[in-house]
Order: sequence, then C-alpha cells, then structure tokens
Amino acid sequence: MTIADDIDVTAVAPKTPVRGMTLKGVLYGTLSTLMVVFCIVPFLLVIVISFGRKVDGAGWVWAFTFDNYQRFFVGILWPDEVTFLYLQQLGYSFYFAIIASVLAVLTALPFTLLLTRLKRSKQAIWLVFILASLSMSEVFIVMGWDILLSNNSGLPKLFQVSGLTQWLKDVGWFQTLRDIGLANPRNVKFKPSEFATILTMSYLVWPYAVILLYPALSRLDPSLSEAARTMGASRWTVTRTVTLPSIRLPLMGTTLLLFVFLLGSYVSVSVFATPDKQTTAVAIYSNIRGSNLDAPFGSAQAVILLISASICLYFGHLLNSKAEAR
Amino acid sequence: MPDLILSGVSKSFGNTRAVEATDLTFAEGQLTALLGPSGCGKTTLLRMIAGLEDPTRGTIRLGEDDITDLPAHKRKFGMVFQSFALFPHYTVRENVAYSLTIGGIAKPEALEKAQTLLDTVQLSGFGDRRIGELSGGQRQRVAIARALAQEPQVFLLDEPMSALDAKLREEMQVELRLLQQRLGITTIVVTHDQREAMTMADTIVVMSNGRVEQVAPPKEIYHKPANAFVADFIGKANFFDGEYRKGAVNIGSFTVDVPANFATGSPVRLAIRPESACLVAERGQNCIDAEISFVRDLGPVREYHLRTDIGPLIVEYAGTDGMERVAGDKTLVHLPVEALRVYPRAVA
Repeated sequence: MTIADDIDVTAVAPKTPVRGMTLKGVLYGTLSTLMVVFCIVPFLLVIVISFGRKVDGAGWVWAFTFDNYQRFFVGILWPDEVTFLYLQQLGYSFYFAIIASVLAVLTALPFTLLLTRLKRSKQAIWLVFILASLSMSEVFIVMGWDILLSNNSGLPKLFQVSGLTQWLKDVGWFQTLRDIGLANPRNVKFKPSEFATILTMSYLVWPYAVILLYPALSRLDPSLSEAARTMGASRWTVTRTVTLPSIRLPLMGTTLLLFVFLLGSYVSVSVFATPDKQTTAVAIYSNIRGSNLDAPFGSAQAVILLISASICLYFGHLLNSKAEAR
Repeated sequence: MPDLILSGVSKSFGNTRAVEATDLTFAEGQLTALLGPSGCGKTTLLRMIAGLEDPTRGTIRLGEDDITDLPAHKRKFGMVFQSFALFPHYTVRENVAYSLTIGGIAKPEALEKAQTLLDTVQLSGFGDRRIGELSGGQRQRVAIARALAQEPQVFLLDEPMSALDAKLREEMQVELRLLQQRLGITTIVVTHDQREAMTMADTIVVMSNGRVEQVAPPKEIYHKPANAFVADFIGKANFFDGEYRKGAVNIGSFTVDVPANFATGSPVRLAIRPESACLVAERGQNCIDAEISFVRDLGPVREYHLRTDIGPLIVEYAGTDGMERVAGDKTLVHLPVEALRVYPRAVA
C-alpha cells in the first residue's frame, strides 16, 4: 500500500462549483437588483418624466417633448416673450451654494488646523461633538436659526434691548445695514435675507467641512511650516506659500463636495431667502409636490441641476489636474 | 561670524524636564555634534537654538546679541530637518530659492542663485524636477542647499542622515563635512550615531536625560570619557563594579591597579575599551586568568569573549597577534593601567 493510496481523494476534491456559484450569484444578483430598483430606476424615471407633458388642470402624461427644457431656458411664453426666471433660479442655486461652501471651508480651515494641534484626547472629544452635530436634520437646524434670527425673540431683539441698535444708529452704520437689507427703520432684521440664507447653509455644512479637512490637515507635516519659518517666512507667508498649497487638493475637494451638497439645499432657502431669490431646488419641490403639480417640468429642472453640478465637478477636476501638472 | 552662546538654557514640557540648565558655546566656524540616545533632549536644544521652541529659562546669545526671544523667522538660521521638509508643490530650484523670494529678491535673480547652490551640492541638472522624483541622498542635498541659500550665520541639522541608507550616509557625512569646512559656517548637527559625530564634528556634546555629560573633541571623548555613560555610549567598553582601595580596585577577590584616586571604600566602576585589553602568555601586573567562550572574526578585527574571575570581558584585536585561539582555550588577559578608567558609582 502506498502513501498515495492513503490519501482520501474525496476529502480534497473540489466541491461542486454549482453550490458556491449559486450563493455568490444570489448575493450579487440581489445587490444588483437593489441598486437598479432603488438608484438607477428612480434616476431614469426622472429623466424619462422630464420629457413628459403636463395636462392642464390634471396630472401629466408620458410623452417625448423638449418643451420642458425649452421652458427652462427661455420661459413658457417663448417665442412671444423670453423670460429667464428658471435660469435665474439656477443662478441663485449656484450663488448661494458657492458662497456658503467657500465660507464654510474658510471658517472650518483655521478651526481644523487648531484642532489638529490639540492633544489626541481633546481632538477625539471635538470630533465626537462635531460628528454628533451631523445627526441634526436640516429642518431642525433651520428652525433653530429661524428662532435665533427672528425679529421678536432672536438677535434683533437682543440688539434692541442691549442698546446695540441705538449704538449702530449713533455711529452711522445702521444706514449701511438698511442699504444691504439687514435693517428696517426701527431695528436690525436678519430674515428674510441673503445673509441669513448663506449663514444657515454654511452652518449646515460646516461640520462636514471639518470632518473632510481633518484627515488631510492632521497628516500635514509640521516640519514644512517650521522649515519655512527658519527661512524667514512670517506666519502669514507660511500659510500662503506652504500650508495652503500643501492642502490645495483637499481644500478644492471639500469645497466642491459641499457646493454640490448645497445645490440641493431646500429648507434654508425656502425659509430665509426672499421670494425673488428662490433656487432651483425649491422650484423643483413646488413643481413636483407643491401647488403646480407639474412633474415633467420639475424633472427637467432636476436633470438640468444635475448636469450643471456635473459640469462644475468636471471643471473642478480639470483645474485640479492642471494645477497638479504645473 | 560670532560665537553662539547658551547660558543656563533649560526646557520643561509640563512636569517633564526635557533639557536641564545648559551652558554651551558653539565656536565660530566649527561643527559641533549634539550626540545622545533618543529622548535625551538634543533635538529640543537644537529647536531652542532655531527659535522653534522657547526656553523655559536661560539666554541664547549670538555674539553680543540676545536672541532668546527672537522668533525663528527673524533668526534666519539655516536648518535641515530629519524629514528634510522639502515643499512638494515646488520644483527643486524653487525650493532652494524659497528663502530668497520671500526675502524680497526678484524671482529670476533668486532662481539664478538657487542654481549656483545646486551646482555646489552637485545637483546641477535637477533644478526643474519635482521633489517626488529625487532619491533620499538628492533630497538631502536639496535641503542643505535650501538652508544655505539665505547665507545663515548658524547652520542647524537635525539628524540629517537618518533617512539615508548606511553606504550613502557615510558618503554624505564626508561631503557635508567638506562643504562645512569650505563655507566655514558655524554648524550644529544633532545625531544619535556616534560614528557620524566622530566623522564630522570638531566638538562633540554628549547628552543624556536632558543633561550635558561631556563636551570635548572626538578623540578626547573616545579616549577620556568623562563618565561611565559616555564610555558606554561612545564605542564599546567592558565595565566592572568594585570598591576603591589605595590605588587599586577590588572586584570580588581580585585586585586591579588603577590610575585614580578616590576615598578608600568608595564604590567605583572600572571601564576598559576592548581594543585596550590584550591576551598575554606571561603573568604580570593586572593579568587575570581567562577562558575563551566565543570568538568572533569581524574581518578587520577579531573579538574574543572571555570568562574571567571579575566577570565577562571582550578583547578586540586588529590584525593578528600570530596566535590562533579558539573557544575553550585558557589564557591570560592583561588590563593596562593607563587604559583603565575609573568612575564613581552610585549605590542603590
């Protein structure tokens, strides 16, 4: 009897592939189906509906018309009259999203830099606190700011009671606030205003900015700025010539991400922006769920918003690549 | 260029004393090595000199000028960091020109001077490369050129060779020393590598636990270590604990004559370098019976590990004494009086 005879061939023989393949196949199949059903199908539906047609006084019907897209760019009265209402809304979407995301990143940057210089234990406490703040919904945050900025119980009241309003009037700055829409003849007023809209939107994404910047800043080699200092660079020169260029990519990435996130911001704009400065996101809602009941036009607006965001991301990527190549 | 003088400089981080009160003078145009094990305070001392840490106490003077409170960017001491700290977003030439451009020199002129410095460190054709495209040795040269660009009065290097492989490190030690001698800049190098310190330095400052243990030229540090720590840290040494008795040290039942004077009964530590002890055939002063336990042939030297009445002992021979001894051989080991160093020993 040889050793070969002792080996139990059946024990080492590969299992029939059918069972393994089936399990794997079922798992992948289920996941793919879920992806298709919950992600791709709704997305495709929005695109398809955007070519649909609204029935006056009723819902909408399936169709293939570019009327909704045409309406977005030149208005519903075209060719008799050209209006840019929807383009203007898209413009405000970009305007609010760009300023709020840049403001959030600019304020989060020094904070995160200081955070990375704290002891590990203190960093952990701050990060937990910031992560916890992410659990608050947009509605909850906007409600808080709504109360804080309200004329009767918020900051304007505090300004009046503390005499700050009177002081602003005395030094002549009150008129400036009136000129930019942050005061009425009696007191300061923060809402509705661009200021309140941008402030709330920035506040909304500020924790994201910190969380996104933190890994890059904590990896930043402190000897780089120390080297610059030993070569005669002041703190500002170090920030300008060493720190910021070293974190250019994470900075750009964070700003773009927040920008795209804020393009879809709905609650803060609908609460704080004046009616003439509403954004595409608000218009989409009022078309699909609001009084208009014009799902095809709402879908067309959603598709255009998505394409615009994609173009911005592409240009952001292009800029990054060029900067990298340089 | 004036001397750099440290008077009573100390540094504490909370309750931890990183550097004890230190008085040191770094002579003009000389290369001084701050040598010691990790955590001995040498880098903290260098950072205080650079202005990157504020001393808890003491003053730092450059000649007559008190620079203790002068911020780093106003001292303009050229510094090479352990990680080289080269700016990845600039080219090699832009890195070298950095101190010049922020100092207000026009960019073309700064880049031209940077090119001259790159020529000095033998990196002429590398000006347009990115930092990521350089090897470790090339990065170190760029870091040196960059630090020298501002024509510093004092040149500081924090473990500049630690990121290099052994062969390159040896080459760069010699190159750096030659460059320093040519430029005549007062230079302070932090290192934990005694070989590096011995190769490059005019003066070595040995540090331990935040304290300066000895300041002396390399030769003196090696041959006349001030205490047992220095003897142990610099090179190799055999140590024996004993008690001093009238010109000799009693180690167990054995007596070794020594060239030292202590109070009778003092606990002492005897040290001798492996190359100073020798194996002999005839009995004489300070000769001890020994048995060879292990022989190690290291090429240029042969190491005999011995068992003796006073404890284990290593003897090192350069070349050959004509006698091939093997493990298990009985022999005599001679401890020459003039080669013995005796240090006071603290008793727990």
